[in-house]
Amino acid sequence: MRAIFRFVLLSSLLGASLIVSAQTICPLRPSPGSPVENPLDLYSQNGTLSLDLLLQNQKENDGYMHYCYIYMYQGQQIEAPTLRLNPGDRLLLNLTDNIQAPYDRYGAARKPPMESMAGMKGAHHPASPDDPCSGQQMMLGSTNIHFHGMNISPVCHQDDVINTIIQSGDPAFQYNIQVPSNDPPGMFWYHPHVHGNTTTQVEGGAAGAIIIEGDMQGTHGLPERVLVIRQQFSNPDSWIPGPNELTVNFQPAIYPQAPSPVINVQNGQPEFWRLVNATTQAFLSLQIQFGTTPQQLQLLAIDGVPLQTPTYQTTLSVPPAGRVEFIMPGLPTGQSGTFLTTGFDTGTVGNPNPPQILGTIVGSPTAKLPRSAPPATKAPTEPRRFAGLATQIPTAIRNLYFSEQTIGSNGPTQYFITVKGQQPKVFHMDDPPAIVTNTGAVEDWTVENHAGEAHAFHIHQIHFLVLEIDGVPVQSSDLQDTITIPAWDGHSAYHSVKLRMDFRDPNIAGTFVYHCHILDHEDGGMMAKIQVNPSN
Amino acid sequence: MKLRYGLLWPALVLTGFSLLCPAATKKNPGTPPVYVITNDDTIAGNSASFYAASTGQQGPTLTLQNSLTLTGRGIGGGFFGSSRVIIDPAGQCAYASSAGTNNINAIDIQSQQAMGTFAGFQRDRSTTNGIGMAMNGSYLYAGYTQSNTIVTFAVMPGCQLSLLDSTAVSGLSGGFVGGMAITGNMLVVAYGDGSIESFNIANGAPTPNNDEQNSTGFAQAYFPESVDITSDGHFAIFGDAAIGTTVEVSDLSSGKLAPTVQYGLGTPANAIIGNNSATVWLSPDETLLYIGNSQGGSVMAAFFNRTTGKVTSGCYSQVLSGFFNPWAYVGSLATRDTTGTGGVLYVAEFGSSIGIVEVQSDGSSCTLQEAPTSPISDDTSDGLLSIQVYPRRPF
Repeated sequence: MRAIFRFVLLSSLLGASLIVSAQTICPLRPSPGSPVENPLDLYSQNGTLSLDLLLQNQKENDGYMHYCYIYMYQGQQIEAPTLRLNPGDRLLLNLTDNIQAPYDRYGAARKPPMESMAGMKGAHHPASPDDPCSGQQMMLGSTNIHFHGMNISPVCHQDDVINTIIQSGDPAFQYNIQVPSNDPPGMFWYHPHVHGNTTTQVEGGAAGAIIIEGDMQGTHGLPERVLVIRQQFSNPDSWIPGPNELTVNFQPAIYPQAPSPVINVQNGQPEFWRLVNATTQAFLSLQIQFGTTPQQLQLLAIDGVPLQTPTYQTTLSVPPAGRVEFIMPGLPTGQSGTFLTTGFDTGTVGNPNPPQILGTIVGSPTAKLPRSAPPATKAPTEPRRFAGLATQIPTAIRNLYFSEQTIGSNGPTQYFITVKGQQPKVFHMDDPPAIVTNTGAVEDWTVENHAGEAHAFHIHQIHFLVLEIDGVPVQSSDLQDTITIPAWDGHSAYHSVKLRMDFRDPNIAGTFVYHCHILDHEDGGMMAKIQVNPSN
Repeated sequence: MKLRYGLLWPALVLTGFSLLCPAATKKNPGTPPVYVITNDDTIAGNSASFYAASTGQQGPTLTLQNSLTLTGRGIGGGFFGSSRVIIDPAGQCAYASSAGTNNINAIDIQSQQAMGTFAGFQRDRSTTNGIGMAMNGSYLYAGYTQSNTIVTFAVMPGCQLSLLDSTAVSGLSGGFVGGMAITGNMLVVAYGDGSIESFNIANGAPTPNNDEQNSTGFAQAYFPESVDITSDGHFAIFGDAAIGTTVEVSDLSSGKLAPTVQYGLGTPANAIIGNNSATVWLSPDETLLYIGNSQGGSVMAAFFNRTTGKVTSGCYSQVLSGFFNPWAYVGSLATRDTTGTGGVLYVAEFGSSIGIVEVQSDGSSCTLQEAPTSPISDDTSDGLLSIQVYPRRPF
């Protein structure tokens, strides 16, 4: 233990000296084997959280292109803080795009032929010069922000990713968002969402957590640990995906190549863990083992919405972009623990998702703990979002499917999400909506996977109720915004999910997108628009 | 290496026995043995494998004769439409590309011996999606997918190659050289981005015929990948990356590529949408066009009219054994016999194995039935995409 402490101290001093001695564009990240710390928390005050974020990038010595959301705190660059708000609060986020020498992950000599077809670059909507809301030309340095999972309006300056394009060098762009007063408490996240640039920027690290405060059953007083699992592309000279290293709060989890991240806990002390899968393509199957025994984890919330009835599970499956909030049982004295993903079968043509240790849980009586979860806030007086969805009569039934078309085993691949009866098409930003509906609608969508790799269905602006998986009714009324659909095996019936979509909130009127949240797939065209017209 | 111990000893014994007793693996003159030759595309060190064709109680089958170690490394994958192994018109030499090291390996078919390794120029690179080839009696053309160059080699005696030229090419949407085929003095290329082009090769190095164009299917994002050409050079037939099964035919009689005629041939009942039709292969009598449904795990035989170039639906196989477990894509196709329908269709299966499909056709209806022995595992391969049959189809 002492040796570890010395190593950590030395690393900290060395890191600090490097910060002082070298002006880095992006902050240094934790070394392998160091303690996992929560991201910096930023709290709303008097109903408002106001902050300035700078998105910039830096090529590291190993070739990795680091994209960092910078928040200046006490004269230090802090990367990707956690934004904490209460229901009804306002978020004022001023984003400055300072991306330099933008990184074309495909390389000038290796652009996939379908790139222009995928609408990844080039002409977009007719541009109104200097208006980030008009859908300017997408450049490699363009960015914007999607507030993933938040049930807010799909308009510019809120949660629009279709027409909002901020260019490098533009003045700060203000996001002005009011959290719905009836939003449930839970975990959300923010990340760039310019079609064609999303993978590169998120893989570079541009992602952070958002927490809507509120009563999360049984968590008051527990140390609250915020974990952002990301992925970094360690071979930027290849346009074939992978290998992608997982990171835990920016610390590489690459054991045995390097020591695992260290999670210091107090023996016997349960903790409240809030985790976002901010990877670009990893399906996580999370376990906490004490010794070699997987522990029962009390799952409290999925995708930012508390479960009606918390459940105990030993493995928590989290698709890319998914969130889980759970209670980790106390580590008995004398034992060590392991936080890991057990691996996931992405299908014959999917990228490997191997098992990986994400952290070593080290107990001591005096470990420094993260801040405790706050007491419950006042419960909203109005019904929570999506209330009563299970008993609604659907106003429309739709069938969609994921599919792929490739010209070789290494791609380039055209990715599709298609409404049955329509022509499969690689998404382009100028496309008309594939689906048109009205506010007030409640629709049942069945989404199939016709491809030989798993996909993760996600829709902006709303959550959905999972009614069936592979035709089998689901006996719960829990809400999600992202769900895994396993790979087709080539012979059996397609895997499918039946989802109840809730378009009742008039605030979500507008045009937004649904897509696969494997970001290579999204950038490659596995996305489509839905237009929700205001009802009369 | 993936070679299993169970197969290692028989392979060694057979190889050694064949070296000591050449007659043991060669048939009498006049009845040449039939080999399926693979480019194993092995990353650690490439090899080409020779499988002997025979017919047993369970129908047609293949038996591994020799895995020939090549100089260079493969990449275990790449474009479906590229031919990584080809046979010269004289039927004496095979050439297999090793894309990981940017070179071409020459093989003497009779002796099953490596005859040399030949590289392009310094700039010619191929590690992204492989090296496809096409050749006539005088020249071999190698499409380097990373540098997007077509390298010209002169064909010399003893399977030797002499480097002549490197020509930069590009599809209209930035596509990379994929499928290639030759008729007379014309080299036809598919770029995988929807565009196609032909070159004049009368003087060796390819000279553009100024006919680069998007195919008719381009409007639907259907992209030609592979190409085959009729024996009389009248038509070029392209297999498309497409929804369902789609091929496109271009009339070459003007000496240039005419706009393609698109033929949608439907989707097998049990296939995935977007099943792809990346590889095409004409039967020796040119009555059938075999189509590999790269992402659907099946093959199709369409009826082809060599006079009009018209393609009409024929028959599908069932999804071939082992699709998605353990192999993932249908690669190139080749026929066993040098006459008629070819009798048996061999299928490169990326994963890796060789599918065997029996063909029946009366000219108006057909069946494709996978043999009970299929697939034959190609254990030395990291990702089989290309095969050829010796003796080669006459054109």
